[in-house]
Amino acid sequence: MVAPSQPTSFDNETGRYGEVYDRGYKHYDGERLGRKHAFNALVRYSMQRALGLKKKWTAKIVPIILYVVVLGTVLILIGIEAFLPDTTTMSYPEFFIFIFIIEGMFVATIAPEMLCPDRRENVLTLYFSRAISRLDYVLAKLIATGILTLTISLVPVVLLWLFRQLLADSPLSALKDNAGDLGKVALTGTLIALYLGAGGLMVASFTSRKSIAVPIIIVGYGVTEALVSAVGYALRDQSWSDYIFFLSPGSLAGNLAYSFFPDLEVEAIPFEWWAYVSALAITIVIACAVMVWRYVPED
Amino acid sequence: MTDRGSTSTLSLNGTLSSSLTNGAFGDAPAVEIRGVRKSFGNVVALERLDLTIPKAAVGLLGANGAGKTTLLRILLGLTDPTEGKASVLGYDTQTDGVRVRERVGYMPESDCLPSGTTAADFVGHMAEMSGLPARAARQRAADVLYHVGLDEERYRLIKGFSTGMKQRVKLAQAIVHDPGLVFLDEPTNGMDPQGRDEMLDLIKRIHKMLGIAVIVSSHILEDIERVCDHVVILNNGKLMLSQPLEGIGTEQGDLLVRVDTRHDEFIQRLGALGFPATMGSTDELHGREEIVVRFDGDQVYDAVRDVAAEMEIALRSLRKRARSLEDVYIGEVEASEGGATGGRS
Repeated sequence: MVAPSQPTSFDNETGRYGEVYDRGYKHYDGERLGRKHAFNALVRYSMQRALGLKKKWTAKIVPIILYVVVLGTVLILIGIEAFLPDTTTMSYPEFFIFIFIIEGMFVATIAPEMLCPDRRENVLTLYFSRAISRLDYVLAKLIATGILTLTISLVPVVLLWLFRQLLADSPLSALKDNAGDLGKVALTGTLIALYLGAGGLMVASFTSRKSIAVPIIIVGYGVTEALVSAVGYALRDQSWSDYIFFLSPGSLAGNLAYSFFPDLEVEAIPFEWWAYVSALAITIVIACAVMVWRYVPED
Repeated sequence: MTDRGSTSTLSLNGTLSSSLTNGAFGDAPAVEIRGVRKSFGNVVALERLDLTIPKAAVGLLGANGAGKTTLLRILLGLTDPTEGKASVLGYDTQTDGVRVRERVGYMPESDCLPSGTTAADFVGHMAEMSGLPARAARQRAADVLYHVGLDEERYRLIKGFSTGMKQRVKLAQAIVHDPGLVFLDEPTNGMDPQGRDEMLDLIKRIHKMLGIAVIVSSHILEDIERVCDHVVILNNGKLMLSQPLEGIGTEQGDLLVRVDTRHDEFIQRLGALGFPATMGSTDELHGREEIVVRFDGDQVYDAVRDVAAEMEIALRSLRKRARSLEDVYIGEVEASEGGATGGRS
């Protein structure tokens, strides 16, 4: 089995055609970085796979298009505001609502890729025989999904905020004066990213097929929105009908964003910001719990 | 954290130059099991096993449902025993499960490779998943894939691999982090005769040349006989046998007795003396039937002689037949199902 390497050129002194070396097998005596390193490796590898890195172009095309749409939108908005100084193109809540559908599509693309192939191709068997626990696996997938979703949920809006401050008459003062807005958009973007990511992973954890998980996530969001809107409209005279909209991902995200920027409200937001934060946090916790339940051994 | 600073190199004439010693992970045995019992509700998968497995090439034999997979899962720290304790390479499987998995390799029976990635990427990733730094992981992946015979193919997608090549990738990921012990579950499953031959050679090399302890779980007794030097037999969750393979042929053989007449009476009289015998074996050279007596020690010879003398018949031949692993396996399983209790270790 051990094949020799290629012989080197003829040696006049010895009269031989070089030497044949055997690479053999070397025992590893370097450092072993343990569980934490394995965890980080899984996060990194999962992100690469989800974005289609080291895969053919068809695996990369959807994430690339979605990034281009979101970042392109930011550039267009900034361009308009740069050339038409008195124009406000989109408020932060409006921007969050605008990118919510794109974020949903992004999660529908990456979340199944995070989990389904491992289950379908039985790679879980190998992962669980390595230096991680099952809980580590779930957390690594959540973090990988969260980080990727943040790149499309948080990065564009932070860029939008930054460019807007740089376009001000006094950028340094603007950066200082509007730092509070940055905190609000960062919290909103992070919560929405985790909310969508955890929800997408939860759905993906129930199937080993991407072709099933992707439409379920997309259609699931759409159907939920439609149903909640219809029921909410039908029951609009009831005093408790506002609570129904906590079940609508789009309404929840939009209301959360507006609750942080009450001056920009187009219509009254029925609850305080903490109610929306709590609703998102509870949903995230439930989704994580379902995932842990799906991956914890039955015995 | 250096466990082994040695190198083991096979020269072209086949000799081994190695500074590897058996004490790679101290003097701890590969596996130590004390009073391990595992039940799933009312179903008992393993029944109070006491077993010490040396750092050797060990064959784990047993029918479906014998408890092999449950035992492997316990040894990998993936499930806890209901009772008892197990340690692997000196690490407790319940409290040090992650550490155990860092130091052992596992090659599952089933398909478990991602189709859309290259062998080099995946094996490198698995090395990182065992705690190796990224750069070392890539280097080890290349070396180990070369070692298992997948040098040029390592940058091809796994989905284009044959069954034999996939088995090699599975083996490569199991040894890429230089484990002290490798669990191989049905390693020749689905392979053609040539591929099987090569895989068995590889497994033999892993233990003999690289000094890695190997536990091979298999249904194929011939595979075990070929690569292992110790065998463990499980049946219905009980330990039937654990001993070096070398002694099995001589210690557990049958005695073949040929007499000209009154075979049934001869068998009956032997049975009455406590030496079970059956008619059935055929002398292949002469085509004559022989009486098969279970050899349980030298006293069998005396019993055969006494019975022949009492019956006043001539003993035409008396020879010992070494039992194959298959004979031993079937014998142990039959003894177990016939009501025998406990095993031998």
